[in-house]
Amino acid sequence: MQLFNFLKNICGAFESFFFAPSSANMLALIRIATGAMLAYIHLIWLMDLKNFFGPDALINTEVLQLLHSGRWKWTYLNGNESLLLATLHEIAAMSCSVGMALGILTQFATPAAWFLSLMTAHRLTPMLFGLDQIVLMLSLALSLSRCGDAWSLDRKLGWIANPSDSWRNTLATRLIQIQLCAIYFFGGLGKARGWMWWDGSAMWFAAASYEYQSLDLTWIGRYPILGSVFTHATLLWELSYAALVWPKTTRPVVVLIAMLVHAGIALFLGMITFGAMMMVANLAFLPARFAERYDPSNIGGER
Amino acid sequence: MKKETSPEASPPGACPRILRRVVSCLLIAHLLAFLAEPLAFFSRSDFQVAPEFLAIRRFAAPYAEWMYLDHGYFFFAPNPGPNHLVGWKPDAAKSGQLPDVLFPDRRQQWPRLRYHRYFMLSEFYNNSFAPTELLPEDRQNPEFYQRWTQDRRFYDALQRSITHRFLATNDSGSTQTTPLKPGQLVRLERPLPSVDEYFSNGQRLDDSRRLIELSDSPVQWAEENRSDKITSEQPDPATPMETEESQKPIAP
Repeated sequence: MQLFNFLKNICGAFESFFFAPSSANMLALIRIATGAMLAYIHLIWLMDLKNFFGPDALINTEVLQLLHSGRWKWTYLNGNESLLLATLHEIAAMSCSVGMALGILTQFATPAAWFLSLMTAHRLTPMLFGLDQIVLMLSLALSLSRCGDAWSLDRKLGWIANPSDSWRNTLATRLIQIQLCAIYFFGGLGKARGWMWWDGSAMWFAAASYEYQSLDLTWIGRYPILGSVFTHATLLWELSYAALVWPKTTRPVVVLIAMLVHAGIALFLGMITFGAMMMVANLAFLPARFAERYDPSNIGGER
Repeated sequence: MKKETSPEASPPGACPRILRRVVSCLLIAHLLAFLAEPLAFFSRSDFQVAPEFLAIRRFAAPYAEWMYLDHGYFFFAPNPGPNHLVGWKPDAAKSGQLPDVLFPDRRQQWPRLRYHRYFMLSEFYNNSFAPTELLPEDRQNPEFYQRWTQDRRFYDALQRSITHRFLATNDSGSTQTTPLKPGQLVRLERPLPSVDEYFSNGQRLDDSRRLIELSDSPVQWAEENRSDKITSEQPDPATPMETEESQKPIAP
């Protein structure tokens, strides 16, 4: 009987954690940033269309077939696509991403932006990096939510009349939170395998990497203790994020450090897009009331 | 986030009980698929992948791969390391002459995200490298030989593809500032300077004289792979070279 009650409590806690209805406000902010970033990503693909798409692209049909051979990587952009199809695809992806950011026909635009971006990702796998992983993760979670209920044209135009708290928002928020924890944890484990993250030199070598550098950070080499402390703090923070971000007492500190670390990556290591999206993903840990107060689409504050 | 007072209560916006059960199962399956690749990746040794994680990964593969969830999440790990570029070496180049850098190139590939796409491609090109031939002792290992054959075929195809594209662009005169002379693609490496090298010797990070042309020689390749070689951004496990089925063999 005790075991039964114990299991019942576990199930109750699980359902409360994932399914208790919550508002869409913070997810709406994440939606705006993710939609804008997806639109920018597709704009970049469009800028070099001939190099990225078509049978004569940098990654041609033969390479793509060998790359995806025996793997579940289906995309209709399979290397034989015409430039016209690629152009239409990218314009459609950009349009859906803009719609997602503006919150117009959000319930359609968000999953469509995710799907079209996924098709591009399978076509251009060798050119992807952390940015693509995070925007696809976010847009998939947002597709499950009612993120168009706030900060959206759908709401402003009255297409969504009476938005209410929804379990779908909680599910999407929890998905983002859990996946973010996993990304940091495994990212930390990966670093813990490298000796530079233990001897304190990783920060210097990251700063001395010309291909990554955007702003000069080599001055940190003049302050070896500072560089070493930053290195160890990064490793410790990344490894402990998954544990310390949940308690309310440690959450603000952990999220603040996340913002600072990613701002540093964005400014100094040339990955402003990746750094910005990791900061956006961390918003999932902030209370929705921060976003609710300033929602311009919240007509008359009726919620 | 508001807490539900009782799981049985059905406030507005709550999930119906049956749907809740179905979604819970799908959610657990999705999270397992999300964790499958990093668990398999981190539990891999020279001898095996942890069997339970390998089983999860195999089971989740169709979903995880198509949903683009198959990542190891290595960022600047295990160590920040040398970066790799793709260069063009004219056939008529003098001995010791440095090849021209094709990509990544900040001046030509702008804005920054566009540059980063080319940077990732150059790292991918380097990670895909397989030598033109194997050392005699490596040929004795049938599994090693088979892997090398596959890797070499892929690298050749990739090299042809990039070369073809750049020559086509060159013919149309649309990208390069200076036309390409007949030649071939080469891999270049920019080593990272130590603090002493940078401050004492006054090295510049962007000094092209620091670039090293990487050899296609099997001897040098074997030595590179035997050493504890580090790269700044590990190849994504999504690439075939890093999957458990086709992990690039390390010279025994």
